[in-house]
Amino acid sequence: MNDRELIGRVLAGDPGAERALYDAHVDRVFRLVYRMTDDLHRAQDYTQEAFIRGFRCLAGFRGDSALSTWLCAIAVSVTLNGLRSLRRAREREVGLDEAPALGVQRLEADPDLRSRLASAVDGLPEGYRTVFVMHDVEGYTHEEIAASLGVQPGTSKAQLSRARARLRVALADFARD
Amino acid sequence: MDDDHLEEPLGAAAREYHAPPPTPREAMWQAIETRRRAERPRKPAPRRWIPWAAAATVLLAAGAALGRLSAPGTPPGHARAPAAAADGAGGPRVSEAAYRIATIEHLDQSEAFLTMVRASLRSGDRERLAPAAARQLLATNRLLLDSPAARDSRMRLLLQDLELVLAEIAQLPADATASQRELVGEGIERGAVLPRLRTVVPAGTSSTRGDL
Repeated sequence: MNDRELIGRVLAGDPGAERALYDAHVDRVFRLVYRMTDDLHRAQDYTQEAFIRGFRCLAGFRGDSALSTWLCAIAVSVTLNGLRSLRRAREREVGLDEAPALGVQRLEADPDLRSRLASAVDGLPEGYRTVFVMHDVEGYTHEEIAASLGVQPGTSKAQLSRARARLRVALADFARD
Repeated sequence: MDDDHLEEPLGAAAREYHAPPPTPREAMWQAIETRRRAERPRKPAPRRWIPWAAAATVLLAAGAALGRLSAPGTPPGHARAPAAAADGAGGPRVSEAAYRIATIEHLDQSEAFLTMVRASLRSGDRERLAPAAARQLLATNRLLLDSPAARDSRMRLLLQDLELVLAEIAQLPADATASQRELVGEGIERGAVLPRLRTVVPAGTSSTRGDL
């Protein structure tokens, strides 16, 4: 069954079709959300929210992009909003001055490439990080990223290029090796 | 330096960035299905609370009326005697018993409601947090705090703590963030309100909680 038929059945009120749609897309959505949150409970929470919103708004899906891209757009929006709220709450607790210092200490203390890279990616600006995770980690195309984030493919490419440049600087010692 | 790909070994490390565990497919679907089911009939959950809230109000009113009618030395024609008569040293036992029944009924409902809220917080099921139901309970809670039932200091303390928790849930916005929901969860755990409710409410007290 293709996406168009599945959507028709969901809109007709077929609960089995909702499950089929969920099964077809949940892995991709969950993987992306988990990569962005690194927290199982938050990833579950945001993935569920993305599907709930997707089902609610399905009647408004015009088919301009693939259904999977549309669902990822909702998931990215839910996740970024959730992470922003979380960051605001943490900033209130920790204080802005202390937050960067914690990141630097973590970088210097851990020589392992994977954890160094994870810290460096975590430290990227939100837009760079989102594009980097979607493209270099999860394998989305620039067209899919652009459709998900509501930007031009060129913007996605530029942000990825800047993200990589920052990572190369942050991990210069590994690159030389 | 090639900008089409992140050169190795950085590229390999990038693919390991926050490596996801297996998708908790069933757990998430259950939460989604519960919320979707709640949405389909478009019957707002708070309506479930109206019958018992009305029953509690009727019970309170009946208790007050019975108490006044049975107050010692009060002739039938003086059923609307001042409240001071009911609050006197030889206060009406019937009224206090009615208040106690209404209080236990309210605490039983609150315990069931908070249990449901806690489960919803853990599963990420926001719809069933039901702030409107919390407001209903809050209204009854305030009524009871002003009633003779609150003369018992332990009961009064419990009702006051319960009020704080219900107020937090009642004020939760529809698009509550994860941190706001965490605060509500902490509020429920703080002061051990649920264990205290379970201590006060005898097992199998109410028949109105089956719908939870």
